[in-house]
Amino acid sequence: MSTTATSKANISLGRMLLRSLAHRRARSFSALAALTVSAAVSTALLTLYNDLDAKLHHEFRSFGANVVVNSTSVAISPDEILQVQNIAGTNSLTAPIAYAIAETDRKTPVVVAGVDFATMQKLDNWWKVGTWPGQPDQVLLGQRAAGFIANEKEVTLTYAGKALTLHGTGRLSTGGDEDSRIYLPLATFENWIGVQPHVLEIQVPGGAGRVNAVLSQLQHDLPQLHAEPVRQLVAGESSIVDKTHALMYGAVLLIALTVAVSVLATLSASVLERRRDFALMKALGASQSQLFAHFLLEALVLATVGVVAGYLLGSGLAWAIGIANFGTATWPKLSILPLVLLLNLGIAACAALFPARVLRGLQPAALLKGE
Amino acid sequence: MFLRMLGESFVRQRRRKLLAGLAILLGTTAVTAMLALATTIGDRIHRELAVYGANITVYPKADTLDVKIGGQTLRPTTGGVYLHASDLEKLHGIFWANNITGLSPELDSSISLGKLDSVPPSPVPAAGFWFQHNFGDAKVKLITGATQLHPWWKLQGSAPQGSGQIVLGATLAKSLKVGIGDRLMVLGVSDVADPVTVTGILTTGDATEAKAIFELSTLQQYADLPDAVSRVDVSARTKPEDAFARKDPDTLSPKQRDLWYCRPYANSIAYQIREAIPGAAAEQVRQVEQSEGTILERISGLMWLVSAAAMLAAAVAVSAAMATAVLERRTEIGLMRSLGASKVRIASLFYSEAGLLALLGGIVGYGIGSLLAALLTARIFGEQSGITLRVAMAHAFNPALLPVVLGIALLVAIAGSTASIRSALRMDPSAVLRNNA
Repeated sequence: MSTTATSKANISLGRMLLRSLAHRRARSFSALAALTVSAAVSTALLTLYNDLDAKLHHEFRSFGANVVVNSTSVAISPDEILQVQNIAGTNSLTAPIAYAIAETDRKTPVVVAGVDFATMQKLDNWWKVGTWPGQPDQVLLGQRAAGFIANEKEVTLTYAGKALTLHGTGRLSTGGDEDSRIYLPLATFENWIGVQPHVLEIQVPGGAGRVNAVLSQLQHDLPQLHAEPVRQLVAGESSIVDKTHALMYGAVLLIALTVAVSVLATLSASVLERRRDFALMKALGASQSQLFAHFLLEALVLATVGVVAGYLLGSGLAWAIGIANFGTATWPKLSILPLVLLLNLGIAACAALFPARVLRGLQPAALLKGE
Repeated sequence: MFLRMLGESFVRQRRRKLLAGLAILLGTTAVTAMLALATTIGDRIHRELAVYGANITVYPKADTLDVKIGGQTLRPTTGGVYLHASDLEKLHGIFWANNITGLSPELDSSISLGKLDSVPPSPVPAAGFWFQHNFGDAKVKLITGATQLHPWWKLQGSAPQGSGQIVLGATLAKSLKVGIGDRLMVLGVSDVADPVTVTGILTTGDATEAKAIFELSTLQQYADLPDAVSRVDVSARTKPEDAFARKDPDTLSPKQRDLWYCRPYANSIAYQIREAIPGAAAEQVRQVEQSEGTILERISGLMWLVSAAAMLAAAVAVSAAMATAVLERRTEIGLMRSLGASKVRIASLFYSEAGLLALLGGIVGYGIGSLLAALLTARIFGEQSGITLRVAMAHAFNPALLPVVLGIALLVAIAGSTASIRSALRMDPSAVLRNNA
């Protein structure tokens, strides 16, 4: 007996809910819009916030290598290079470099470096280069070094009596030590001078923690090599990423709070406006808790729909901001959905319960009479 | 009558006004705080990026090349071309002098060093720097030197001050087996032995660790190179490089050249340094300059976009609140209409209410938002960047933001209430009144 009564009450509650939402379409719609905006904004900000560190670390890769490995005695063997590459990880870049001191055609001593140009181009994208060399007999001349060469098209270099003529493709300018060097393809360098690379410049993706892990692994597995972090890069990177992270955290909190309170204000105003419905239901015999349940359920249904719509919108917004600012997409994260849902349900529940408390003391008769 | 109605409406409907006002207040708070952060973030991050050291290097136009690998000079340059330390004062006269935030001259040489009691001193590479050097002039105060330009250096102990004091690079200290407080014998070119005290051990992570470090003038004495400087690192506040910055000034038309000259690009500051110091070549350090530009752009771009999102959210929230505030008062509108008030009059009453709310909420929101931004900045960037809470608070209020924020608040409040005012005015007054009787 009592079960049928409850189920009946449930049906009527559900129906009343639907009716009340459908009947006051404009009102429901504006409440839904407010909840959708709050969900969309929190989704977008949380998604961006989640992805921020990865994005920033990616940007910091433009500073080039953050670990340098030196061989203290002999050259680094190809096996060791492979091992280093494995330790550094899949997304890392490893550039083997060999140095020697040769003489230009004007008898000036100059540092010549054998490198793999394709790797250098990716690793050091701040290098200002006219044309990158492609042929084995083409070289890149540092802009200061170029001043000590008679003919940039036909560069004759001498090392231990062995002369080699190469073709300069263009000048390199960096504002650093590179300007005083001449870069040639590693294979050509090895044939000419007979020296294997003894320096590895490595770009390890990720922050200070990742770099330190790679460093200790290198020291453990290859104790014969000397690995050093490029200290100012690693330290500066973590400091800036941490600070931007904190700033975004503050911004996310601030905006989420603003939107939440504004939405709360709007929603509770629209609930308060329905005092007459409240009074009528009470006059028809509804209990206090039934009324609470009605208001609450109505708000929660709106909030859930708002979260679904807002999550989609917000993910889209985060994606657009990722593309516009970082040039790479920020993909939707399902992991933030519970948080957004919780936030929105909280707002909705507060918005429903706060006016209901205010209304509790009111007399239905007085309200219906229009006082 | 109009003013009285306006006043009464605020006094009698306090709760409703409070809700709409709160929405405006919070909206402007968030927008002000975000805009304040976005406008200053560039400067803040730039200061943080100073960790990467100098963005311009100055070196003598030499007749030989540096033979340097991994920061280690393998074959000392024999030409002996140096810059003059006294010429550095001329940097005060260049167009962008005020943008120079740090300066670190360096003299590379070698000296002989040994323990007081032991076998003859052996030659080691040496470097002379400024430490806490006062490079200000009448207008600006600037204390600068090697530690400011190389923030990643770790100096254990204290910097050398004048003759008789030396700092050892960590590897050199290890190989000599000496520590802070020990006394050493220095033998300069003049072959006069001088006792010195080790005041500090320096860890740098590069070739400087193998050097003996002196105050610049001390090393100039030992090496007998008065006034000589091998290179100068300059840190300057610059504008991120764009296409125009990459132009060669000598190929530009005079008018364009002036424009190029008067922008704080690293390239144009380097150009001005070349002009000011005779025999000097100056180059932007592309690794620092280029990469800094990208990072700066990304972070401030992010802040601007987030501000835009905040603005959008605040606008929607405020217009929803305003719309609700008007919709609630349909009965009132019906009553006013039936008493003979014209539509224009009613609309202007409601718009005035919205405008007043926006102004009040906007001003308070501007104040709170500015303080919030200052608080956040002080907390995040903190004391080590020289931003104490007091400094941040002193610069909290950006007067340029006030009209912007107020304008946005007014616009949003008025636009937000327009739709509901219009729909309320379109209703038949008698129907509205009967419905609510």
